Formats: sequence, C-alpha cells, structure tokens
Amino acid sequence: MGQAQASAQTKITQPEAILNVDHLTKKFGDLLVLNDISFDVKKGEFLCIVGPTGCGKTTFLNSLTRLYKADDGKILFEGEEIDPQKHDLAYIFQEYSTMEWLNVEENIRFGLKVKGYPKELQNERVEKVIKMVGLDAYRKYYPRQLSASMLQRVVIARGFAVEPKLLLMDEPYGQLDLQLKYKLEDELLNLWQETGTTVIFITHNIEEAVYLSDRILVLTNKPTKVKKEMINNLPRPRKISSDDFINLRNEVTELIKWW
Amino acid sequence: MSKQQVRDKVSTILFAMLSVCLLLLVWQLAVSGTTLGKMFPKPIPVFQKFVESLTVPIGQYTLVQHAVFSLYRVFVGFVSGAVVGVILGIAMGRIPVIDAIVKPIFNLIRPIPGVAWIPMAILWFGIGETTKYFIIFMGGFANVLLNTYAGARDVDKQLIGAAQMLGANRRQIFVHIVLPASVPYIFAGLQVSLSTSWMAVLAAEMVCAQEGVGYLITGGMNSGNTTQILVGMLAIGLIGLILATLMRYAEKRLCSWKIRGN
Amino acid sequence: MENTRKLENDCVVRCDHIGKIFGEFETSHEVVKDINLNIKENEFVVIFGPGQCGKTTLLNLMAGLEQTTSGEVNVNGKPVTAPGPERGMVYQTTALFPWLTVMGNVEFGLKMAGVKKSKRRERAQYYIDLVGLKGFEKSYPVKLSGGMCQRVGIARAYCNDPSVILMDEPFGHLDAQTRYLMEEEIERICSTEKRTVVFVTNNIEEAIYLADRIILLTNCPATVKKEYVVDLPRPRSYVSPEFLELRELITSEMDEMDL
Repeated sequence: MGQAQASAQTKITQPEAILNVDHLTKKFGDLLVLNDISFDVKKGEFLCIVGPTGCGKTTFLNSLTRLYKADDGKILFEGEEIDPQKHDLAYIFQEYSTMEWLNVEENIRFGLKVKGYPKELQNERVEKVIKMVGLDAYRKYYPRQLSASMLQRVVIARGFAVEPKLLLMDEPYGQLDLQLKYKLEDELLNLWQETGTTVIFITHNIEEAVYLSDRILVLTNKPTKVKKEMINNLPRPRKISSDDFINLRNEVTELIKWW
Repeated sequence: MSKQQVRDKVSTILFAMLSVCLLLLVWQLAVSGTTLGKMFPKPIPVFQKFVESLTVPIGQYTLVQHAVFSLYRVFVGFVSGAVVGVILGIAMGRIPVIDAIVKPIFNLIRPIPGVAWIPMAILWFGIGETTKYFIIFMGGFANVLLNTYAGARDVDKQLIGAAQMLGANRRQIFVHIVLPASVPYIFAGLQVSLSTSWMAVLAAEMVCAQEGVGYLITGGMNSGNTTQILVGMLAIGLIGLILATLMRYAEKRLCSWKIRGN
Repeated sequence: MENTRKLENDCVVRCDHIGKIFGEFETSHEVVKDINLNIKENEFVVIFGPGQCGKTTLLNLMAGLEQTTSGEVNVNGKPVTAPGPERGMVYQTTALFPWLTVMGNVEFGLKMAGVKKSKRRERAQYYIDLVGLKGFEKSYPVKLSGGMCQRVGIARAYCNDPSVILMDEPFGHLDAQTRYLMEEEIERICSTEKRTVVFVTNNIEEAIYLADRIILLTNCPATVKKEYVVDLPRPRSYVSPEFLELRELITSEMDEMDL
C-alpha cells in the first residue's frame, strides 16, 4: 500500500453534513476489509461510490445499515450514531428482497405502513411510484409471478415511496434493461430534486456514476480506502457524449481500471 | 488455518467437553440426591461396565461382538435397500410409464414404518436373519427411493440441453448428466436411510434375537439390569454417531464439486 | 485451427420466415414472427432488443432447443430439427456441468464424440489456454467467479468446433466492470480464432463493441426492426464519437418502440 498517505483521505467537512463516516474500519478475522474510511455527505447531496469489482463496497454498506458492527470508527446520522430503526433511511439493494406473502402493491406500501403514515398519504405515494416504475398492471401480482427485472422495480418503488431523508442504493439498476435503466435514472434524479433527499448510490458502472452524481467517491481495492473524491459539477441534464462527460468518465475509469 | 479459525475450533471443542461434563454432573446429582437412584445407575458404574464388557461377554458375546452382529444386519438390509431404491428411483424419475405404475403402490407402502412389518415378517420368514434383513430393508429403502427419484426427475433441463448441443446421445446423457446430477440427492437419501436402518435393526433385535445391541437392552430389561440397558443405549448412540460421521465423510469426498455446509 | 468449411454464397445460418407461437388457441402467445436472417461465415452478429422481446427464443430456435411453428432454420444448408454439435451454445447461466472440472467441461463434447483421450486433452488444453484459464484445469465450477465460468463456457463451445456459436446474454449476470473485461476477452478470442457468432444481448455498449452487424428486434413478438452494419475499426473505444453516435441512434430508435 504505497499511497497510504493522508492526502488520499482528504476529508471535506461540511457544516450541514447529514452523514459523517469517521475512521470506519472493519475486519473479518484477520482480513482487513475497510481501512479507516472517512467522509461526509452533505444534506441534499447525490454521492456516488465507485470502486473496482470485489472492493469492500458491500461490507461498507452493511456497516452503514448496522448489519455488521464496525471494528473501529463511527457513522453519524445528523450527529447521532446511525440507527436504521430510528432514522429516516431507505435502502434499495441489488437483491430482490421482496416479501413473498405480499403482492406488489402491499410490498410497496409496506415501508409507509411501518412508518405509520396516514392512509391517504400511503395511497397517494403508492399510486405515484407504482406508475413511475411501470407496475400499474401488476399491482395484485405476487413476487413469484414476476420476472427478475420486475422484482427489482418493486424494490426500487418501495424505497422511493417513503421519500426518506437518506436513500441508500447498492447497484440497483445492474440487472435492468437499458431503457428502463435510463428511465429510472432520470426518475431518481427527479425524485431527488423534488424531495431534496440525500442519496448514496453505489455502482460498478462508471458512466452511471458520472451521469447521476454531485460527487464521486473512488474506492481502492481491499483493504478498502478512499482513493479520491471527485466533484462532479457538469450541468444537468447531462449528455453522455459531451466532451466534459467523456473526460470525467475516462478520469474515473483510469483510477479504478483493473480489467 | 488462520488464527481466527483455530480459535473458533478450540472454542467449539471446549464447549463440547463442557456440555458432556454438564450432562454427567446433572446425571450424578439426579441419581444420588433422589429416589431416582433406585431405578437408575450412577454414571461411573455404567462406564466401568461399558469398558469391561468390551472384553467380558454379556450373554454369549462381548459388546464388540454384539455390535458386529447388529452392524452386519444393517449392512445387508441397508445395502439391498439402497440398491433397490436407487435403481427404482432413477427408473421412476426418468421413465414416465414406470413412474405412473409404481408411484401409487409406493405411496401406499411408504407411510408404513419398517417396524410395522415385524409381525408379518416373522410369519413369513420365521425368526431367522431373513426377517431382520427384511425389516431393515423396508425401513430404509423408501428414503433412498424418494430422494433418488426427486434428483433424477429434476435434473436441470438446461444441462441436458447443453449436453445435447455438445453432441451427447440419450445413453450418454443418462450416464454423464442424469447420474452425476442425482448423486447429491442419492446421498441425502442414504444418510436418512442409514439412520432409519439403524433404528430398524434395534427394533428387530428387541423382538427376535439372541445377540446384537438391541438384544442387550431387552435382555437388561428382562433381568432388571439397568446398567446393562444403559451400556446398550450408550453403544447404540456411539455407533449411530460413527455411522453418520462416516456417511458425511463419504459424501464430502464424492460430492466435492458441490460446496455444502462447510 | 484452420476453418475449412466452404459454403454456397458463404451463408452459415439462414432463417427463412421463421415464427414461434407458444401454446394453442386462446392461450397462444406469438414470440417470434416472420424473421429472415442470413449469417455469413465468420460474421459476428449481435441480436439486440428490449427485455423479454423473444431474443432468447430466436436463439433457441437456431439451436434446435425449440422447434419453429413456421419457417425453417438452416445451418450449413441442412434444416435444424434438434440440438446438435454443429452449433455451439454459451448460456447466460453458464450451464456448466458442476460435477466436472474445467477440463472435464471443455473436453465434454469431444468425449461424447469418442475422440481419444490424449487428443481431446490436447485440444481442450489449447482452448483453456486461449480463454485465459491456464492453471485452473482441475478446478470445479463452484470455485470459480462468474467471469471465469463464462470463460469455461466459451472454451467448451469452441472446443467442439461448431459451424456457429450461439451466445445467449453470456455476460448478463456480470457486474459492469467484469463485463468490460469479458467483452475485451471475446474480442481477443474472436480475433485469434475467427468463428461465426450469434450473440444475444440487451446491453447497447456490448452490442456496438462486438458486432459486425446488429439486428434490432421489436418487442414481443420479435421481428427485425432494423439492421446496422458496424464497421468501426477494432478494438473499439466505448467513448469514441462514432461509437457514442451509433449508440444514440440505436437508443432513439428503441425509444420509438412500444414498451
């Protein structure tokens, strides 16, 4: 690890940070997976996290959701230790973690119900997102009757519906069809701009990261550290064939290219 | 092995020892403090008797010889049950006509436990060895058949397609795809079957035998010798454990291409 | 290995007004409709279309794994009626035989054909080396990563020396970065060992990167919407202006389609 200098870990402290990740470290047995990761996320920011295949992205996410206990360091949400049960967070993961005994509509409603929102608001939100992801005609279907890409849309809709303060997304569009992916990327941006929610979006896809983010956090291979933070202030809506877009995409690609 | 794994392994062993000690302690306390002691021997005499009977006969044979009798019977019944189960299971899984004919009969016979065959078997075969083999066979073969059937029937169609695309004919698909794909299922069946066979031999020996570990415990009951009963039960537990372990080991060797448990 | 097959007007695969209808009467479902396709020797044809548009069914018809309800597929001038070794298949799910090692999988076809052990081993070794799996001959598929399993699948198809190799979204389950790697690998393998390939994908970048010709299909039932001859020099850059231009052209063509 030649570049273990602190320079790679420049921490930008923002006054209105919603999330502080402070010296986060995680080991599995003797294997160091996360190595002293620190960064802040501003309120209303769209942060993309990219890194080479097999870097500790998933471990990082699981520490955020407290599935794993970190060995060292803290994750603070609005100044308190993060707690998925207490704080207004939503997760959209790669796995299709739908509830098999609930139909599409009930799955999407689930998060709203847990939060105890009034019935009218629940209905309104469900209607809005179910149309957005194109599952209107399938609202009474059960997960086993749906294809993989439809299941993924259910999970996305469930996360969107609660309009959380912090939306955590792990490679949510990896298995989707091209057009649907483009459409949902734009819908995500709309939602983000409309609601002022904060988004952390983890992806393998560099183009996607450049298209979506305000800032890109580039991770190293295991043991994972922050290699570089890149501010992305290309004007929106972005054009993937513009020179600035291609330059930034190439720059990020160079940082993580292993293939 | 990493340090962590060594640590995990050591703690597993320590906990196992702790749990055995705890059992012995509870046993000792229960029989020495209460009236239970009149019907139930203390742990130490049981272990003394166990070790002693390895060389000194109970009835006509030593404990080891009794165990060999039982194991031999299990071997005959289990192997014949496994052979019939595997052949019939694969035939049913792959040939619809056989499936249609055999399944209704099998479904009727399957819920009848092996021990329910004891009276009938005695009337048919007398109280000789054939009866015991038959009972063990009936106790074991259903599980092998069921699992083999499921395995052979549910072979991934895509794998069969892939083999066809590579030029395999029907016979080759059977030998090179259906059989190996069924092996893990067959093993799951064999594992269950071995434990039910072991139960069946005891039942058979308790009813009609002058030797074997099943005879040991009924013999103990008839003579009011609780120590002998416990020695027999201890032997049954240990042998069952060893058989299951051997089976798991064999599975690990034969199905190494499939990470399971571990 | 020299490919010596010579054919009338160079056509290896010819689809003549083929159609496929699943089910009967009211429940029938037309998946492929009136497709005409001629594929030349050593041509790399990508079949590209939205989600469940019937691409895979079309490929299965060429493979003989499904039977056409109208029209005929010809390979080397002979009608296709059943699966056979003159067509090789690479699956999205890999469909490797899990109880066989890498070597066992790759040599499977030759073994079925009764090729002597020493000869088939030699040939299989050549293709294992070609796909970059030297040293993994004795590994079982469970021990390999997704990308490596696909390499085995490709070697297995190549080793049987088929007239055409059919690839059904082989990289659909891989992450974006591993996918780039595998695309570069296919490019390398195909330039070393020219073959006729029909490649199904729903990834536009993959299509343009690999194809000599792209067949854009309509949504279910699948018909040929448009054909694009891609004559960009190889190896291609994902961010060259020509690449991005073609990408936008095809994407906008797809947007017109009813999803």
